[in-house]
Amino acid sequence: MKYALRKVGLLILTLWAAITLNFFLPRLMPGSPTDAAIAKLSQNGPVTAATRKAIEIQLGVPDGNVLEQYLQYLKQVVTLQFGISYTFYPQPVAELVSQALPYTLILVGLVTIVAFVCGTLLGVLAAWKRGTWLDALPTLGGSFASAFPYFWTALLLLFFLGYVFKIFPTSGAYGVTNTPGLNAAFLGSAAVHAVLPAVTILITSLGGWILGMRNTMISTLGDDYVTFAEANGLKPRTVALRYAARNAILPNLTSFGLALGGVVGGSVLVETVFGYPGIGYLLLKAVTNQDYPLMQALFLMITVSVLLANFLVDILYGVLDPRTRK
Amino acid sequence: MTTTPLNPSAETVPVDDTLLAAPGPWQVITRVASTIWSNTKARIGVIILLLFVVVAIFAPLLAPYDPSATTFARSQDASAAHWLGTTAAGEDVLSQLIQGARISVFVGFVAGLLSTAIAVLIGLSWGYVKGWGADVINFVVNLFLVVPGLPLMIVIAAYLQNGGIGMIILVVVITGWAWGARVLRSQTQSLRGRDFVTAAVFSGERPARIVFREILPNMTSLIVGNFFGAATSAILAEAGLEFLGLGDPSTVSWGTMLFWAQNSNALLTGQWALLFAPGLCIALLATSLTLINFGVDGLSNPRLRESRKAAK
Amino acid sequence: MHTNTPKRRRRLTAVIAALATSALVLTGCSIDIKSAPDPSLGADTLLIAADTGSPSMQRVFNPYLPNTRIGSWNMFEPLAILNDLTGEDVPWLASKTTIPDPQTVVFTIRQGVKWSDGQAFTPADVAFTFDLLKKNPSLDLKGAWQYMKSVEVKGDDVVVHLNGDDVPAAQVIEQTQIVPEHIWSKVKDPTTFTNPDPVGTGPYTLGNFTPQEYAMDKNKLYWQADKVEAEHLVYPASNTQLDVVTKGYDWGFSFITDVKGTWEKANPSNTYWFPPGGTISLFPNLTEKPFDDVNFRKGLSYALDRKAVGDAAAEGYMEQAGQTGMLLPNQDALLNPAIPDKGLITQNDKTAASYFAKAGYTTKNGKLVGSDGKPLTITITTANGYTDWLRAVQSITKQWAAVGITVKVAQPQPAAYQLALRNGDFQLAMGSVGGTGSVYQDFANNLSSEFYAPIGKQASGNFGRYKSSEVDALLTRFKSTTDEQEQKQLGYQLQQIYYDELPSIGLYYGGSWGLFSTQKFTGWPSAKDPYTSPKTYVSTALLILTHLKKSEATK
Repeated sequence: MKYALRKVGLLILTLWAAITLNFFLPRLMPGSPTDAAIAKLSQNGPVTAATRKAIEIQLGVPDGNVLEQYLQYLKQVVTLQFGISYTFYPQPVAELVSQALPYTLILVGLVTIVAFVCGTLLGVLAAWKRGTWLDALPTLGGSFASAFPYFWTALLLLFFLGYVFKIFPTSGAYGVTNTPGLNAAFLGSAAVHAVLPAVTILITSLGGWILGMRNTMISTLGDDYVTFAEANGLKPRTVALRYAARNAILPNLTSFGLALGGVVGGSVLVETVFGYPGIGYLLLKAVTNQDYPLMQALFLMITVSVLLANFLVDILYGVLDPRTRK
Repeated sequence: MTTTPLNPSAETVPVDDTLLAAPGPWQVITRVASTIWSNTKARIGVIILLLFVVVAIFAPLLAPYDPSATTFARSQDASAAHWLGTTAAGEDVLSQLIQGARISVFVGFVAGLLSTAIAVLIGLSWGYVKGWGADVINFVVNLFLVVPGLPLMIVIAAYLQNGGIGMIILVVVITGWAWGARVLRSQTQSLRGRDFVTAAVFSGERPARIVFREILPNMTSLIVGNFFGAATSAILAEAGLEFLGLGDPSTVSWGTMLFWAQNSNALLTGQWALLFAPGLCIALLATSLTLINFGVDGLSNPRLRESRKAAK
Repeated sequence: MHTNTPKRRRRLTAVIAALATSALVLTGCSIDIKSAPDPSLGADTLLIAADTGSPSMQRVFNPYLPNTRIGSWNMFEPLAILNDLTGEDVPWLASKTTIPDPQTVVFTIRQGVKWSDGQAFTPADVAFTFDLLKKNPSLDLKGAWQYMKSVEVKGDDVVVHLNGDDVPAAQVIEQTQIVPEHIWSKVKDPTTFTNPDPVGTGPYTLGNFTPQEYAMDKNKLYWQADKVEAEHLVYPASNTQLDVVTKGYDWGFSFITDVKGTWEKANPSNTYWFPPGGTISLFPNLTEKPFDDVNFRKGLSYALDRKAVGDAAAEGYMEQAGQTGMLLPNQDALLNPAIPDKGLITQNDKTAASYFAKAGYTTKNGKLVGSDGKPLTITITTANGYTDWLRAVQSITKQWAAVGITVKVAQPQPAAYQLALRNGDFQLAMGSVGGTGSVYQDFANNLSSEFYAPIGKQASGNFGRYKSSEVDALLTRFKSTTDEQEQKQLGYQLQQIYYDELPSIGLYYGGSWGLFSTQKFTGWPSAKDPYTSPKTYVSTALLILTHLKKSEATK
């Protein structure tokens, strides 16, 4: 009980610190949101002095000193009212986030689960069939594929399958003519649009899971109880799957938990290359345009979910491996 | 970490003890090197890595032209004079590729070393200390783990401005050490309960000595593995940051080559090599490190050595 | 096991070899990119690359917000269009603009114009609009109320009283886009109003809107309906260079690498026109030594090979700029004929050295050394991500190295770059000058002490901190004369000062990157018919949309 209480206390403290960091980090960047807005406008032609003034009034130099702004921000965090985005003025932050979140959750979330399941299975297989091509192919292929820069894989896939062979759409999350909702046309179109980003993330993340599982599995396969089970005449397949794999999957589960927590952040580079309207793209836009309200909301969301995942994994570990509690 | 009666790391203790007893670091290195070399995958990795290192060192001699000279015809296809063509600004792609190896190798090694050093220091003390000290470290590490990485990199890059290689290394290290610390802490915690540590405690050794003389050597593989892992992600992060235009586009590196390729739409103008070659090189370099890690895994965990199966 | 390893090695070698070969094969062949128009778009529909949603578009059609969709320009028309290419004022919702005295502007409102919901457009709408901007200064993006004192309606006329003598102000005020009183008077907070269902006077109305694309349909009630031949406009949210080249766009505004080899090659009816849209220049910080010395600035200027700088920046598609502040050939008619060679300055390292000597800098061991014996190092500030500027700076770095100057490049993020400009926190900064279409505005924004702010205080113009009573006097005279000949003479004098004093150093012209397809429509602006700039995102787009004719193929 004391263990759990201490953990909760620590969680709250970390949450506060992260929230505070999220407030100060954006403000460390030189230049104000007005400067960012003008920089964007000035790419279209000369920005006159009058325009500068108008934008300044519009976005408003945040009221009060930093402390007052900070208190104001804490209030926003508690009430979940993040106000109006600077970049997408006058759209409310909540609206932008709720538009982008489903796409990221479904795309990145599903792919993370699929990658974990496939990677783990392939890892078990590789360890079990060690030394054969069933080992060499996934391990070598996986490590090679995960060594490619995300965006590079994305660019090549986009160019060949999108532009040259025209098999998949080149941007967006669904067809122009579809109306988002629970209708077959939209869901079908959304699925087709998600293929290339999904494949990119899958290719580049699969290798990690394969290698992780393979290595712990090989360790476990050599353990005495496995040898013991084999000596007792259990089928190798049963030994591998029932005993070894179950034990070996533990450390990978923790990584999986953390990866799931990180899903909310989306995949900035992939979403950018494919023009996919998810959280990652929104985050990049917010950061490069110094959109404090949007950045704060997104950072908070990501921080909380990663923290929670981290916390749950910690608790889970404490339950599964009592030694760490000492 | 798995609940196993007999532990792989415990099994290797005698081996590492002889290592410690050995007079010079040379033997340690030879031993490590030969273990890695005995693994086929790792051997291939070492060969690829050495190749890149040699290219990086002798880049000025190997490059046929000055990599930032813009005196050639723009967007040329591959030819005898320019094996990989020229860029939209009229630079020789091959010379840039060769020059770019320097940055990637350098960033990989330095950032890998730095973040591993931090991870080792923090991870080990975190795993060993108990009470509020552990909580403080836990707090700091968690903070770095939960703040989203890429946006954090962008913010830091914007803050530091004039992004050069130094800045990129700093950004990669700041955002990259926490994960390794976490992994090393788990292993330390695991080892802390082992008999040989208990024995050391009873024999009255100081905690620092226990951590760095008793526990650390047992984690060689994890640390070396962490180094190669950190170097790999540093190389990829550097490329990603530069691709997003957050580095200094004037430096010639594989990341900036990809930035310029995307910027001048190399796919559209048919400058295949400009997009292909740097990406492939990044992938090969990163793969070589991953391959070496196969050998490193076998270092303190003989079960991951390739001979294991044959011995069985 | 021992039979195992070599086999695996062979397999690995094979994999690596295969990868290497495939990479080589791909390097050798280039894939031809062809433009294929979207068959679902009719021959009466223009596909326009202009409005980039990132990545999805918000439904914002409030014309006074910087985030307004580009389509707003086709619905909310100004009183007159200032043609930024020719410098002419084209009467639009005001059929006539008169300036009876330097403190008054009279707009005679056009008869027979209807809002797209059928209501009549009246002078009251114009008065309402000005009142709206006065009450909500954040909407006054053009800054009309900086010059205005009051507005009154007299019959068909809207009379604007100015704060003082200010003839050039008319060109700012006339650009105000007019909104309907009967709708906007009911809006609670116009500063956050998104105007999702816009009603305007323009040639198009909003059609189907989705976050990834929207369409506009011809306004049947438009007052020049006979001049509008394109029935629909389509604005997709994604307009990458690859999209523009491959997806059959009719009109785009974007720089494309190797435009001849890509855009023109993709379809025989694709054309392009890149007229100058501004002068990319170096702003010297005139409060700092040695940049406050005109001889030093001349030295820098003579050490520049502007042709090479421009070529590096825009792949040879843009011309070098002269030192008159004028955009050529657009403003040929306004150019001071007394300035030699149209203001072009040819690189001459010897002349440069003599000017540097006058400023107290001499060459020692190949380095330019000041009187204190220290070698000269200059920092040029440019925005990170503006790659054309960076290319230019790289070229300048090499050229100045030849005369012994070491150049450092500072590349803050765009917002931080803006901050550096405003605070005067730079030695030399890259920037764009001119291109408003008004000679007065171009010089005033850059040179007027009205915008002067001390270093560390934020300036909104005149970033180099130039101060000259002579220029201020000329600008004041400019404000009070309605005589075109006199305006021209004043322009000449300003150009002469710009040429002699180098308050900023012109490098090359920034382009207006017009991409057109003549497949469905002809009559695009071009070098032969330069009636306006190719911009898609300002009121001059109306000039193009009312100028297009169906091509022979689609008739």
